[in-house]
Amino acid sequence: MIETGHLAAFLALAASVVQTWYGLRGNRPMAARMALSALCIMGISFFFLIISFVASDFSVALVAENSHTLKPLMYKIAGTWGNHEGSMALWCLVVIGFSVFGAIRLQTGRTRFEAVALGIQGAIATGSLAYLLFASNPFLRLDPAPLQGAGLNPLLQDPALAIHPPMLYLGYVGFSFVFALAAAGLIEGRIDRHWARATRGFVLAAWVPLTVGIALGAYWAYYELGWGGWWFWDPVENASLMPWLLGSALLHSIIVTEKRGSFAAWTALLAVLAFCFSLLGAFLVRSGVLTSVHAFAVDPLRGSLLLAGLLAYGGAALGLFAWRAPSLRSGAAWGLMSREGALMLNNLVLAVATVTVLIGTLFPLLAEVTGRQMSVGAPYFNLTFSPLMAALLVVLPLVQSWSWGKASISPNWKLAAIVGALLGATILAALFVFKLPFGAAFGLALGLWLLFGAGREVFRRAMVPSRLLSLPARVWGMTFAHAGLGLFIIGAVIETGASYERTIALAEGDSAEIAGWTLTLDAVRSGEGPNWYSDEGTLLAKSGSKEAVLTPSKRYYPAARMPTTETAIMKSLRGDLYAALGDRRVVDGRTLWTFRVYFNPMIDFVFFGVALMALGGGLAMMPMRKRKTEAKVPIEGPATPEPQRTKVIA
Amino acid sequence: MKELFLSLLSFALAVEEPLVDTAAEARAQKLMQEIRCVACENEPISQSAAEIAGTMRVKVREMVSEGASDAEVRAWFESRYGEFVLFRPPARGVSGLVLWGLPFGILLIGASGIYLARRQRSGSGEVEAVSAETFDHDNGTAS
Repeated sequence: MIETGHLAAFLALAASVVQTWYGLRGNRPMAARMALSALCIMGISFFFLIISFVASDFSVALVAENSHTLKPLMYKIAGTWGNHEGSMALWCLVVIGFSVFGAIRLQTGRTRFEAVALGIQGAIATGSLAYLLFASNPFLRLDPAPLQGAGLNPLLQDPALAIHPPMLYLGYVGFSFVFALAAAGLIEGRIDRHWARATRGFVLAAWVPLTVGIALGAYWAYYELGWGGWWFWDPVENASLMPWLLGSALLHSIIVTEKRGSFAAWTALLAVLAFCFSLLGAFLVRSGVLTSVHAFAVDPLRGSLLLAGLLAYGGAALGLFAWRAPSLRSGAAWGLMSREGALMLNNLVLAVATVTVLIGTLFPLLAEVTGRQMSVGAPYFNLTFSPLMAALLVVLPLVQSWSWGKASISPNWKLAAIVGALLGATILAALFVFKLPFGAAFGLALGLWLLFGAGREVFRRAMVPSRLLSLPARVWGMTFAHAGLGLFIIGAVIETGASYERTIALAEGDSAEIAGWTLTLDAVRSGEGPNWYSDEGTLLAKSGSKEAVLTPSKRYYPAARMPTTETAIMKSLRGDLYAALGDRRVVDGRTLWTFRVYFNPMIDFVFFGVALMALGGGLAMMPMRKRKTEAKVPIEGPATPEPQRTKVIA
Repeated sequence: MKELFLSLLSFALAVEEPLVDTAAEARAQKLMQEIRCVACENEPISQSAAEIAGTMRVKVREMVSEGASDAEVRAWFESRYGEFVLFRPPARGVSGLVLWGLPFGILLIGASGIYLARRQRSGSGEVEAVSAETFDHDNGTAS
């Protein structure tokens, strides 16, 4: 019964309020208990929402608007979060989930700090649940109930898209707990090595799913939209990229705080901003200021409320930051030519890259306010964002072995000459043999340079190859993430620089030549699925002795009155042969079918590279092996619990 | 019934002939990625399946084959459809300066700020070098 879910959500709201109260007063056990209760209650609430979708209970307004009896079970379930209200319910569930995750995993020995963090997370849960219940209520009934539902946007009926939103939410909302930890640290006035050690795992716990979520979205765009590309610098994509970039900056700066106690204020600021940008993304996507497949319900009130929430939580945290940051202790001394200096460069560029994406995304909106209609698209980002990031990545392999404090720079000229010559030769070969544009040739060399750098650093750390396996998981995490970045860049620049695209019109039996493949249209047949009709073309592809059958189709979903493209992709070592079916036309009495055919070289490197980055992030989460070596820099402050400043009400 | 539904599905994919000159075609392709389809949500004409996008592509190829420069093609489309049509906004006026200059401006300000602040501070006190791998087998806490 949906009313049970409705009531449970109210109870979860009450539990979150109590959690906030106990947490902010320093009572960790009670805050943790309240978080756990809220999770159980909200779990029940969400379960009832899913049940309404599975049972196609169209007396629930949300189900009637977004589901259909003929939809496969998987998409009935995924349909729960394939709309604004349901996705907000998932958001609330994840916020509370991170409270419980934090209550279990946070073991710093500083009870008050942990309690306050749980209290702030409770406040975020309170805000989210209030927004859910009072502005996006998924539990409302419809009277009279319709006999059939309106169906889920067919574009979203896809396996990758079923798990894309939960992954993104784990990322966005994961940063809420990082935010809570930063605010609690600022309240305590202690953003130090202990704080960084406790927080770093939570940053990764948000960054890894965010990475996976963005990659799933990109992969979906690649095979579902039929445009041959995977990243379009669409405002919605940018909204997810900004917290990712800030999260990546934070991952690096928190290492400095953890190892050296430096960058404390900057790390705290990034931790606050990463969540603010997640909220900004939610605002941009959901308020309807951007139109996209994600703008489920365009409602100015919801937008204003999200913006108010962003300003309230973000403003409070930034105020706290401005108040506390000057009193934070600085860490060990360092010069510009040091590991700290290198990581500061990393943070500077990632922050500027974030601002660039922000400017490019918001500029058309701001221009509209002044009455101008303008567009900022891929060419802008390719000319600003890409060179900035490229410059940063060129430097990475050079500085990653630098020491903390002061680097002793003794270049190995012989190796530099060999590597430089090889990379130069790569660029020349790419330019003149493979006829790539300059940007792609440079990117290819950059990717190889990153792979080389990642390999060299891991061998340097091991000193002897036999020690490679006994290196800490974090070192391997770093290696995989940087190597993944290299593979990603190689895939991205080759795909962008050397992809081939043609639109052809074929009658049955006709052939066309594309990128060395001969495509023959065998037939176009009609088909039928549980909730769609289709036209499916059968293309026989032949290249030398290689043969393949491509079956691109077009589906029509009567319930949603909407067509979708189902592309056909033939993978080979060189890349993807990709076909999308267009419309039918009759020319001189002959029926012609149009196809858009692409050859996308090495595109899998893009997705594999990102997967490797996520894997690296996962490895970096693994705890250090305990070994009795002395840390060179003593951790400041007591590791034992500090005296309680307020009375515990346990 | 099914036929009727499918015939409604006519999102037109225009069949256009690429230019014979491969360099000119490459230039035209690049321009098509910069020009926004006026009938679609957020797509360049290179991707769009809308009919108007096809007409716009034909125009780009026509101008390129007649020897128009990239700037001339952009200017023609801007005068015809307005600034909105350019995914690569022109770098002119105050807004152009802000849009194109701000990223690099912030980078310069940030870098010089850090440099000046560090140069002042690193003059005082000894700096001790600690290699990165010191922490590879760090036991976690100081206790």
